Amino acid sequence: MPQNEHIELHRKRHGRRLDYEERLRKKQARAVHDRSQMAKKLRGHKAKLYHKKRYSEKVEMRKLLKKHEEKEQKSTIETPDQGAVPTYLLDRQQQTSGSVLSNMIKEKRKQKAGKYQVPIPQVRAVSDAEAFKVVKTGKTKRKGWKRMVTKVTFVGESFTRKPAKFERFIRPMGLRFNKAHVTHPELQTTFCLPIVGVKKNPSSQMYTSLGVITKGTIIEVNVSELGMVTQGGKVVWGKFAQVTNNPENDGCINAVLLI
Amino acid sequence: MTSQYNFKKITVVPTAAELKEVVLSKTQRKTPTVVHRQYAIGRIRAFYARKIKFLQQTLHDKLTQIINEFPKMEEVHPFYSDLMNILYDRDHYKIALGQMNTSRHLIDGIAREYVRLMKYGDSLYRCKMLKRAALGRMVKLLKRNKSSFDYLEQVRQHLSRLPSIDPGTRTLILCGFPNVGKSSFINNVTRADVEVQPYAFTTKALYVGHLDYKLLRWQVIDTPGILDQPLEDRNTIEMQAVTALAHLKAAILFMMDVSEQCDRSIEEQLHLFESIRPLFANKPVIVGLNKVDIMRRGDLPQEKAELLAKLEREGIPIVETSTVTKEGVIALRDKACDELLAQRVEAKLQAKKIVVSDDSILNRVFVAYPTPRDEKVRAAFIPPGVALKRAKRMAEAERADMEVDDDEATVPNNSAFRDENTRRLEREIELELEDNYILDLKKHYLLKNPEEKYDVIPEIWEGHNLADFVDPEIQKKLEALLHEEELLEKAGEYESDLDSDDDETKEKMKLALQIREKEKLLTLESQLTKSKAGRSGSRVISRKRDRSMSRLEEELGDLGVEIDVKRMKNLQGQCAKPQIGKKMKIGHSLKNQPKQAPPRDEQAMPDVEKRVKAKKMREKAIRSLKREARKGEADRHVFDLKPKHLFSGKRKQGKTDRR
Repeated sequence: MPQNEHIELHRKRHGRRLDYEERLRKKQARAVHDRSQMAKKLRGHKAKLYHKKRYSEKVEMRKLLKKHEEKEQKSTIETPDQGAVPTYLLDRQQQTSGSVLSNMIKEKRKQKAGKYQVPIPQVRAVSDAEAFKVVKTGKTKRKGWKRMVTKVTFVGESFTRKPAKFERFIRPMGLRFNKAHVTHPELQTTFCLPIVGVKKNPSSQMYTSLGVITKGTIIEVNVSELGMVTQGGKVVWGKFAQVTNNPENDGCINAVLLI
Repeated sequence: MTSQYNFKKITVVPTAAELKEVVLSKTQRKTPTVVHRQYAIGRIRAFYARKIKFLQQTLHDKLTQIINEFPKMEEVHPFYSDLMNILYDRDHYKIALGQMNTSRHLIDGIAREYVRLMKYGDSLYRCKMLKRAALGRMVKLLKRNKSSFDYLEQVRQHLSRLPSIDPGTRTLILCGFPNVGKSSFINNVTRADVEVQPYAFTTKALYVGHLDYKLLRWQVIDTPGILDQPLEDRNTIEMQAVTALAHLKAAILFMMDVSEQCDRSIEEQLHLFESIRPLFANKPVIVGLNKVDIMRRGDLPQEKAELLAKLEREGIPIVETSTVTKEGVIALRDKACDELLAQRVEAKLQAKKIVVSDDSILNRVFVAYPTPRDEKVRAAFIPPGVALKRAKRMAEAERADMEVDDDEATVPNNSAFRDENTRRLEREIELELEDNYILDLKKHYLLKNPEEKYDVIPEIWEGHNLADFVDPEIQKKLEALLHEEELLEKAGEYESDLDSDDDETKEKMKLALQIREKEKLLTLESQLTKSKAGRSGSRVISRKRDRSMSRLEEELGDLGVEIDVKRMKNLQGQCAKPQIGKKMKIGHSLKNQPKQAPPRDEQAMPDVEKRVKAKKMREKAIRSLKREARKGEADRHVFDLKPKHLFSGKRKQGKTDRR
């Protein structure tokens, strides 16, 4: 005990007050009521936060309880008929504990999910009006043939601008992205990988050619960092991934690797 | 001086979750909360960008505070630096602070990036989502460094409870095997109140106590016991002791147990002493032979006593103590203090010597000497009298030096400047005679007959005041004055009315009289008009009235100026005509004036009778108002202060001036 721990020193020398245990017990007993009072009184944002926290706590509690119950639970499994069984084995039934059973179910569910899951099967179409903003040009700002892309775009390194006069689509510098957070569905890990190109934007062919990235777009990413190897033994460096978020709203591109 | 190493002031490091709550709610509280879709997009963008920037600034400040408040390992005294290394692990500490720094940097980057993206937000929804993402990402960084926050909080708590050891001050360090009586010793000499128990490693940390000796404050450090083992095998508890021994310039009190009740034989204890001896280099070391109440040093077997004697021959003093009976405790303390003090004084002197030989300050001072222009000696001029005096003083001083042995203090300091010719001061006499001295002011009177010095002088003598006869020539002076007066009278100096018969003067006097009368009249008149002024009409009208030809003639005549009517022809003509304009114009012919319209009241009512009547009626009407100085018809008047149509009904957008 260091020199300046005065409270502990005092406790060591003189002990706690005599009704300490009693008070503690009462306090703990009261705590539940206090909490419920608070939960009733809270309003607005604070209430939201509190209830969310409380909810997650309860979920945890329930899970824990269930786990304990599973451990205690005993059940029998009907073994398939294996023909004639000697009499002394007739009574025998295999016993399993609940936890093993439920684990098996969970595993199965997971596998199933893995098999049929396609990252985003259906995508909302993005209209031209949403993706492009009309830019007025000309000396008197009467002409309206120029468009500015309002979505995130990928612009390849080799892109060279046309003369400004003939440039129909403007892809703003601030909305050009060249990295994406790609999740490997099996490893359940995420990597920040450079984008190689936009493979397909389901909304329109034009978007694909412009490199517009919206939710559901298939992009090609550089996976050389991951060190993936084909069955033939070659190093894979480009792979497709599907964008799972709205990059223009989140300020980053999240994608799932397609395997 | 209190120790400069006070780690008690570090503010509490919140946990990551707490910090998250704090900064988010602060952002919510301190930034505007109301925004609408129909606002100009620039305004919406600014609204959300402000939130991002605010959170970034708040987090930046919080993290900076943490980084700045924790002591830097490189900057603190090596003793503390080492102690912290042992207690908290240098690498861990640095990584934790480094993570704070990195996350601060990253947060700045994120905020910058999202504020830039906000520029392209084209709807409230998009801006809001961007803000949400930005806040989330910034806060997520905190969550990732959760363990660092927890670690730093623990370090802070421990640091604040560290005993405040001043590494520079006079210090005694107790060391030795566990359970030899170090803590009992410190409890005896200071008020440290360290726990004492009959088992090893009762003391697990450094303890500090203070004592006063020779009017100085001394710091005593109690260390945990150390075992005799190589450095790399030592545990954290022992390492604290080693750190204190290694880094503090102090007197070392090596405690030993003669009775061997601590389960270590004297040989073992001496072996420990030898093995940690390198740490004692250049420090005064004293061995305290504790627990002599159980066994005296003299009772030791031959070979053990020999070992101790050998140690003593090496110049290390051994003091027998007993913390139970308090025997030798004070002696040990005093000895240690004295030795340390001697060493410190010596070190200080040496340090000073170095400074002097270095000439560090003298090197920097520049004294200018003028270069001599010729061979002539230009010494300072000393008057011969001064030179003489100086020489005398020197001689006197030499003499005084010789006499100083047998007779001090009889010669006052300033007697050096005097000789037999100088008059003795009253003060000197007073000092000499002490109580017998009487102040005699008559002593130095300069009289014709010196024997009359002390005669008594009466105030009144033979009916005369003596003071009147102080001047012997007073009668003569009086006579001279009288004579002069007589002469003046004869010359007719005092005769009056010298030149009143003169004609010119008479006229002047008359004129002056006239002027005075006139002045009086004028003042009276003006007083009258002044009292009238309040009642009468405007200033302009009254002035108009007094300017007339006849009046001018009359007034000037009174003053004695004759007016030639012919010469004033123009004035006359003007006088005959009705008054036009404000001023009486002189010197301009009427033909040159542009024609002016008559006043508007005349225009409105050309009939003079009616006009006069109207004027009278008006005056009558406003008389009462005027008297009470109330609002008249010419004053501004608002007919309806609260018009009904503006104060009834609902008031919505833009309906303040019509409804």
